Amino acid sequence: MPPQRFDQAKPFLTLGIALLAWLLIPTALKRVTRAGFFELQAPIATTASYVRDLQDFWSLKTRSKNELIEAGRDVARLNAAYESRLQQDAALRSEIERLERILKLPIPPGFRAEPARVMLRDFSSWWQQMTIRKGRNYGLVQGAPVIYGGGVVGRVREVYAYTAVVELVSSPGVRIAATAEGDTRPISYQGGVNPSYGPAVGVVEYVPLDVFASPSSPRRLVTSGLGGVFPPNLTIGYMTKVEPSSDGLFKSGDVRLDPALSALNEVTVLVPESTPPSR
Amino acid sequence: MQRRVLILTAASLLLAVILGQLNHYLAAWQLHAWCGGLFVTFAALRLGYRTGAIAALMAGLLLDAGQPVSFGTQGFLFLAAHAVIFTIRARAPRDATIIGVMIALIANLGLFLILSFLRIDPSVKTELAWLRAFADLLVSQIVIALIAPWFFAVQTRLLESNGANLRDFSRGAI
Repeated sequence: MPPQRFDQAKPFLTLGIALLAWLLIPTALKRVTRAGFFELQAPIATTASYVRDLQDFWSLKTRSKNELIEAGRDVARLNAAYESRLQQDAALRSEIERLERILKLPIPPGFRAEPARVMLRDFSSWWQQMTIRKGRNYGLVQGAPVIYGGGVVGRVREVYAYTAVVELVSSPGVRIAATAEGDTRPISYQGGVNPSYGPAVGVVEYVPLDVFASPSSPRRLVTSGLGGVFPPNLTIGYMTKVEPSSDGLFKSGDVRLDPALSALNEVTVLVPESTPPSR
Repeated sequence: MQRRVLILTAASLLLAVILGQLNHYLAAWQLHAWCGGLFVTFAALRLGYRTGAIAALMAGLLLDAGQPVSFGTQGFLFLAAHAVIFTIRARAPRDATIIGVMIALIANLGLFLILSFLRIDPSVKTELAWLRAFADLLVSQIVIALIAPWFFAVQTRLLESNGANLRDFSRGAI
């Protein structure tokens, strides 16, 4: 058998040297390079999302006037319903503030709601994330909670000049402190394995033994407010199955997330306010 | 060499943008196309070692920048794939498009499996995670089979329009 030529090993030797050199590069330099590579691609993705919006606009322009009149009527009905809800909300808020003043409770941190358009969705078996069209230019911060009409979307993982990356609640490895609706005991929620052609799912652990849920009578899972990232009582999903875990002390189970998570176009980032709201 | 690296990086950027848009629409069905093998194959088969290696690293870093992996993970995976393809390329008729497509498919399979081993959390229903990963792999391989000839042609035209003669590159051009 002829001896192996040295030049056949040369690419791997070069690879080894490059890897060694990479490990020695300072982390700060890598972080700057990473941001640079991201910002290089951001204008293209942003332009593509504006083009998509334009396509949507022109496709909506093809709708008949009757359809628009019907849609306007539906929106007016919704607005009327929301107006009455807002009045109830204001009354409840003033009641809560009055009670907090009497009991001298600490004021919880406030949030500024920043609506943002989704420009790119990236849902793989390895990660679930989306890029939104607002970043440092709107004061978004890393770790800020992201919500939509149906509940929790996720949290901001990276913030760039005018875009931000949101890690979804369905992403494997994401953990949130939760509670079953109407219960105060904490439950650990974790993003699960998301099957193809189906809604995203999650798993729950440390569920108290007296909490029950089944596919026919699911139980709403909400944020607990513990940990300080998410405000309390935001919907995460619905527990569809809980079974006693191997230790017998708690239950664990599955959570069904809203299928709309896979097709969101608009989300709201809750930017923590630096100073507590004034009374 | 610098101009060739820039051209290949621009082509990689184009491919990354197209795949990003494709994945945006596939997300509604919880599917994902990852075509890492396609980023490295052409340069590894047709160009000199240094040019191809730098282009592969740049392509990997482009992908790493927007994804929740350690910066450099895909960069070095691409570099390793490039080294392997470059070493074996003399044994195949590397100018043929069909061979390029087949090598891209094999490289993508290997890279996808390595990345899956690195990323799949063993504490969360591993069998279901691998089932989903294989669905994504199937989509990725179909996408590569469909767009690889076009992507190779784009790279060839871009290099030729900038004066590079692809016949000049031989196996020993390290």
